[in-house]
Order: sequence, then structure tokens, then C-alpha cells
Amino acid sequence: MTGQEPPRKPSGDDDQPPPDTGMGMTAVAYLLSGMLVWGAIGWLVDHWVGTSGIFAGIGAVLGVGGGVYLIVRRLGA
Amino acid sequence: MIGQSIVLAADVPFPPSVEDFYLPSILPWNEHNSYWFTKITALMWVSVAAIIIFFLVTYRKPQLVPTKKQWLAESIYGFVRNNIAVDMLGKRGVNFAPYLTSLFVFILLMNFWAIVPLAQISPNSHIAFPAILAVISYVMFIYVGMKHHGGLKYFKHALIPPAPWFILPLLIPIEFFSTFLVRPFSLAVRLFANMFAGHMLLLVFTLGGFAMLNANVWFAPFSIVSWAMTIALTFLEFLVICLQAYVFTVLTASYVQGALADEH
Repeated sequence: MTGQEPPRKPSGDDDQPPPDTGMGMTAVAYLLSGMLVWGAIGWLVDHWVGTSGIFAGIGAVLGVGGGVYLIVRRLGA
Repeated sequence: MIGQSIVLAADVPFPPSVEDFYLPSILPWNEHNSYWFTKITALMWVSVAAIIIFFLVTYRKPQLVPTKKQWLAESIYGFVRNNIAVDMLGKRGVNFAPYLTSLFVFILLMNFWAIVPLAQISPNSHIAFPAILAVISYVMFIYVGMKHHGGLKYFKHALIPPAPWFILPLLIPIEFFSTFLVRPFSLAVRLFANMFAGHMLLLVFTLGGFAMLNANVWFAPFSIVSWAMTIALTFLEFLVICLQAYVFTVLTASYVQGALADEH
């Protein structure tokens, strides 16, 4: 088994290529992570400053923006 | 038949709970404060033994024209190597094919116990098993990355995306969170939750049939429907079993791919 030559093409043999190569998961992870990380940081700032949630909201929006940017840079190119 | 079912249904607990996943001890038999060897443990060791024996036996005397068993083993290995490892990692994929195949076959068999009659629970419905598998994948992709890029350079590569400097403070925490915290967690929870939910679903429909019958004999037709649903859901479970084994393997390969990737 291990001694056998791998197929020439990187796409493997004649079988169908895998439908999902993990890129979808990575994209979702970036989006959620962005929201969670910066939302949480915003929430901490809220606690520190004494506001009731404005920074958590701003943080979540910024985080999603960062997540989208990361998806474009890491997966889009 | 209905009368028999009612006798059976007399002590059917409904609704099923998390307690149903904690099976009685086998060795020592029915002990209440020693859970070192339960059905879960037994199924795991049977899986390990079955995989080792299967691959040893099927590949002991390899023939140029493969026998049926050899063909089966080669197909499994070939599927993971060509369609997952080489597809995602290129030439270097061959180095990872043995691990990925072991992972795939192990998860597949462990999941498959969920629908084997009499076994009917997957060890993967306890989070300990997926968690350990996720930790192995996690340590492996970090190790591979550090070896490929050289120590701390890997973390620089993984954490600092190609972006202008003023946006980096926004991006680095996201990268860190999604790469080093979410990955092992989601890997473990995805497999665990699928197997847990699958077992729960089958329990609800099986026991629900008995519970309805127990409540009123005239509910018997609904019980039949419920049990028919159990059979249908068992086929759905089979799909989930194969899919989750595949997804775990593909994601592990994709994490290794990310660790091996050069700057673009």
C-alpha cells in the first residue's frame, strides 16, 4: 500500500474531488471568532468604562469586519 | 404482540436523559463506584483490535492482483491518501496518509457502533474520545508548522496575515482565537455532538414508541410510526457516521495544509 506510487495529478485519481476542503469551516471560524473576540473585548471595555453595551456592539461590528477582511486575504487570494 | 410490548414497556424510562450514556460497569460486574471498564471501553478496544487485525491480515501477503480483502484495505487507504491527503497537501500528503487513514478508519468504526445492533452506542458520544483525537490533531499541526517554518517563525506566519500594519492589531486576536482556540474545540465538539445527538434521537423515537403504547393502547399506530422513524433515522445516522469521520479527517488535513503553507 505505502509503496505504491501516488497519482501524478494533485487532484488524485479519477474519483470526484472532495466537495469541501475545510475552507467553509475556516471562513465560518473567522467570522465567529471576529465577533466573539472583539465583542468580548468591547464587553470588557463596557465594564471598565461603565457603559451598558455600546462598546460590545462596536467591537462585534469591528470584529466581523476584521473577519471578512481575513477571509478575503487568507482564502480569497 | 401488543400485549408483549406493554410488558416490555412497563419499565421503559422516558424521556431519555444524559444518564443513558453512562452505562453500567462490566468489570467488576455492575459495580457502582468503579467505571474503569464499561461497554464504551469494550467497544473502543474492540475497534482498535479490529482495525489492527484487519490491516495486518489483509496486507500480510500482498498480491499483484489483489484478493478481495486486500482490495478493500487498499481502497480505504487509497481513498484517504488520494482524495484527502494528496489532494489537500500535494506531494507531502503521502507522508501524512498513514496517520490520516488511521484517524479516518478509527473514527468511522467508533462511530459505526452507534447503529450496530446490540452495541448501539458510539464511544464518540462521550466527549473524552473526540477531545483526545482533537488534541492529537492540534499538537500535530502545530508541530508540523513549527518544523516547517522553524520554531517561533511559525507563529509569526500563522498570526500575522498579509495586511497593512494599522489593521494588524484588529486581525491578530482574531487569528489567534480562530486558529489556536476554536480549532481543537470545534473539532472535538462537532464529532461529539453529532454522535451524542444521533444516539439521543434514536433513543427518543424507540422509547417514545413504548411510552405512547404505555400511556394508551390506542396509540399503538403512532408507536409503529415512531419505530418506523427509528429505522429511517438509523439510515440517516449511517450517513452522519461516514460524514463526520470524513469531515474530521479533512479538517485535520486542512489544518496541516495551513501549517505547511508558504507565504502568498
